[in-house]
Amino acid sequence: MKTLTETMRGLAARSPWIYRINAGSCNGCDVECATTACIPRYDVERLGCQYCGSPRHADIVLITGPLTARIKDDVLRVYAEIPDPKVTVAVGICPISGGVFRESYAVHAPMDQYIPIDVNVPGCPPRPQAIIEGVALAIDIWRERL
Amino acid sequence: MLANYSALFAVLAFPGGLFALAIGLALKGADRRLAARLQRRVGPPLAQPFFDLVKLARKRTMVPDIAAKPVFLGAPLIGAASMLLAAALVPIAGVYTPDPALGDLLVLLYLLTVPAVVLMVSGSASGSPFGAIGFSREMALMLAYEGPLVLVVAAVAMRTGAGMGARVSFSLSEIVAYQQAHGAFLFDPMLWPALLAFLAFYPANLGIVPFDIPEAETEVLEGPLLEYSGPALGLFKVMSALKAVVVLSLGIALFFPMAPAGLAGLAVQLAKLLLLMLLGVTVLRVSCGRMRIDQAFRFFLKWPLALSLLSLVIVSFA
Amino acid sequence: MKFFKIFARNLIQGPSTIAFPFAPAWTPERLRGRIVFDLAGCTGCRACEQVCAGGAIRFDKTPQGLRFMMWHNTCVFCGLCTFYCPTKAITQSDDWHMAHAAAHKFEMAIREVIPYTTCSVCGLKTLASAPNPVGVVPPFSAEEIEQHRQLCAGCRKKAMAERGATS
Repeated sequence: MKTLTETMRGLAARSPWIYRINAGSCNGCDVECATTACIPRYDVERLGCQYCGSPRHADIVLITGPLTARIKDDVLRVYAEIPDPKVTVAVGICPISGGVFRESYAVHAPMDQYIPIDVNVPGCPPRPQAIIEGVALAIDIWRERL
Repeated sequence: MLANYSALFAVLAFPGGLFALAIGLALKGADRRLAARLQRRVGPPLAQPFFDLVKLARKRTMVPDIAAKPVFLGAPLIGAASMLLAAALVPIAGVYTPDPALGDLLVLLYLLTVPAVVLMVSGSASGSPFGAIGFSREMALMLAYEGPLVLVVAAVAMRTGAGMGARVSFSLSEIVAYQQAHGAFLFDPMLWPALLAFLAFYPANLGIVPFDIPEAETEVLEGPLLEYSGPALGLFKVMSALKAVVVLSLGIALFFPMAPAGLAGLAVQLAKLLLLMLLGVTVLRVSCGRMRIDQAFRFFLKWPLALSLLSLVIVSFA
Repeated sequence: MKFFKIFARNLIQGPSTIAFPFAPAWTPERLRGRIVFDLAGCTGCRACEQVCAGGAIRFDKTPQGLRFMMWHNTCVFCGLCTFYCPTKAITQSDDWHMAHAAAHKFEMAIREVIPYTTCSVCGLKTLASAPNPVGVVPPFSAEEIEQHRQLCAGCRKKAMAERGATS
């Protein structure tokens, strides 16, 4: 018998709320994220996603940008505000490896040395469909964590 | 003793409690779905608000270090409880007449201010600057829209009272019964200004777009709700779903409670709620931009106040 | 009141959302996506490493030969390597399905080794890289390319000159 908690988990997994952190991004990936969120063509609300303004409401975090030295502490602080369980998606190559800013003194590039990243979406910037694909992957991971 | 149990049933199961919550969530789902369709999107499934609630119940509640913890966690409980009670106070024509012992229209008025007060309290208790901004905006907006609401209710009450030979009648069941006997107030020219004022009031109370200034996501990041997470945020969602049902049913009870008795009456009531939600809330929400707090404040102190006052004066001299 | 017209139109026309996560998505014809490396065509000139904007392409010498390494997680998909590659051994496919779990981060790479061989003429240790047949008249046949792969730089130059090619 499928237990009640299992069913509840299945239902809960259909409501992943998305929060966006800009860790010093050039705004390219942010524009693609905004496109994914706002344009009817890539409606993420179909998946139950909802962009939320507060890190406290978030389930899936999209991080863009190479984690510049200036913003590092703030990003870590905001990240700590997000209640568990959460899934982190690195959007664009900057948070994954540093991309074109790799080995710069001003960025603390591979972000996974500070924040546990779950899904990578490479691209500079990735196309909106790729971001949706990443979010879909993240939802799968999130369902396991709930 | 039996009366007590039926009152408890009314608060917890029907028409308050579970029933109102289910209706409220379904209405929110329909609202989101239609909004998506109006924007040429597919939109979430109809049960999405329900999924959201289940999800929030499974998340962790975080309390900020600087928050006043008992108030921070108690406020949403009080808000949801007040709306549970309020849902049991609104009659459904032909189906449900509230127990007079539960309270009348005046109690409902007070209960309707509780969510706003709760938002203010929670916003200030969270210790977040955005919460504080939300607090001040909520307070300004509440001061602006409560006046017209009281006058609207007073006008309707006086109209009923005059019709029944008394001075005023603050019993919603009497108001409904009077309208069913003598025709809906929707077609009473004396109350048209009051109706207009009510139409301006409910978007502000429900916090939908032209007047969602305290919880503006894009400006103050959902203001008072900013620091809430998990079950506590879920309680706020419950509160707002119940509030939508209460306010819309109040509007139906005040102006157009015509319905057959029995199950058909329930169906008519649900159809009315859905129509109001879709036409009055979704279309409005999708077609408007957000007002500034000073614009909204001035608007409410000008038109709805003047209209409701006009209605009251006409009714009291007629 | 214009928006009522827009609403009516939107309701009638229906959603314009693509079915993507549940159905394949449309991909533009010349989309610059995942890098494809053809080891047989590589001349080992290292021009791609020189021009790579993101520093995604790297060559290094190993005991087995010259290793080509390319990491999609730092590639900006600019297409410079494809443009400058003399033999078009590097190309870009239109595959953009690159979202992956972070555990597979380092599997998003291409690692290929151009092995060492001994020159079939002088016996010198040399790289078995493809010759650069661009502008050679008449063009190299496949067998000729395979023959040249077994030659060291000096012998290859000589063979090219005998054939009347300059490059």
